[in-house]
Amino acid sequence: MSPLQTILAILAIGLVTYATRIGGILIMARIPVSPRIEAFLRYLSGSVLVALVVPPVIHTGPAAWLGVAVTLAAMLRTRHALLSLVLGMAAAAGYRALA
Amino acid sequence: MTTSETPVCLTAAGMVRGARQMAFALVSVVLFAVAFGVAARGAGLEGWATLLMSGAVFAGASQFAALELMTAPVPWIPLLAVVFAVNARHILMGAVLYPWFGRLPFVQRLLPAAVMTDINWALAVQAYDRGERDIGHLVGSGLLLWVTWLAGTGLGVALVDAVTIDLERFAVDLVFLLFFVCLLTSLRRGRSDDIAWLVAGATALVAWHVLPAHWHVLSGALAGGIAGLLHHERRRHQPERHDHPQ
Repeated sequence: MSPLQTILAILAIGLVTYATRIGGILIMARIPVSPRIEAFLRYLSGSVLVALVVPPVIHTGPAAWLGVAVTLAAMLRTRHALLSLVLGMAAAAGYRALA
Repeated sequence: MTTSETPVCLTAAGMVRGARQMAFALVSVVLFAVAFGVAARGAGLEGWATLLMSGAVFAGASQFAALELMTAPVPWIPLLAVVFAVNARHILMGAVLYPWFGRLPFVQRLLPAAVMTDINWALAVQAYDRGERDIGHLVGSGLLLWVTWLAGTGLGVALVDAVTIDLERFAVDLVFLLFFVCLLTSLRRGRSDDIAWLVAGATALVAWHVLPAHWHVLSGALAGGIAGLLHHERRRHQPERHDHPQ
C-alpha cells in the first residue's frame, strides 16, 4: 500500500467508526430503534466476528486449531480474556516448535 | 425518578471521576494494545500507520478486523462494511446513553461520542444509574483509555521493530484470531447466538471458496444477522418460550 492509500483507508475507517459512535444518538433524536433492528444489530456484531475467524482458522491448520481450542477452553473456565489468549498462543507456538 | 431532574453537564471534576474508575482496566488495555501493535506490524502495516490507526479509529476489534483488508488495491467496500459491522454495536450503545447525551447541546455531544468504547460505556451506564449526570465521566475515562491504547500500540510497534522476532514462531500471527475467540465467548448470550453464528461461520466458509477475496466476512455476517433476526421473530410469535434476558 502506498502511504497515501494507507492514510486514506485509515481515515475512512475512522470516519465509519465515528459514525457508529454518534449514530445512535442522532437516530434516537428522531426515531426509536425498533426491536427488530436491535435484534439484527445484536446478531450482526457476533456474526461478523465468526465470519472473520472461521475461514482463516480452518485454513491455517493444526496450530491454529489447537490455539483456538485451548483459548476457548480457558475462556469458558476462567472468563479471563488475556490469560486465555496467552495460553492459546503458547499452545500454538508449542505445536509449531514440535511439529 | 428524581435524579433525572438533575441538570446534565460536562466538567473537569466529572472527567477525573471517570478516569479514576477506569484505572483498574488499564493493564489489560495495554496488553491488548501491544498485541495490536505487534499484529499490525505482522500484517505489513508501517509503524506510523499503526499508530495513526489506533489514534483515529480507537476501536480494538475493528482495527484487528481491518488489518486483513489493508491491502493494495484497497478493497473499499469490504473494508468499510466490515468495520461498520464490527462497530455497529456502538449505535445501540449510543442509543442507551441517549437520555444522558441527548440533553446536551449538540457540540458537547461530539467529544463524548468520540471516546465511547465498550469498557467506559459500561462504566458510564453504571454511573448514570447511581445518579451521575456529568458526561465528563465518560470523557475522562475515554481520554485515559485513548492515551493508554495509543501508548500500548506504540510499545507493540517498538517491540517488533527493536527485536527481530519470528512472528509465526511465537504464534503472533494468531493473536487476532484468538482475541476474537475470547470476545465471542464473552459475547455469547445463549442458544440463539449459536444458530446465528453457525450460519455465519458456514456461509463465510463457503463464500471464502466461491466469492472473490474479502467478501466472506460480509456474506457470513449478513447471513448470521438475518438468521438471528428470523429466529428472534419466530420466538416472538411463540410466547410460551419466552426466555430472553432482561
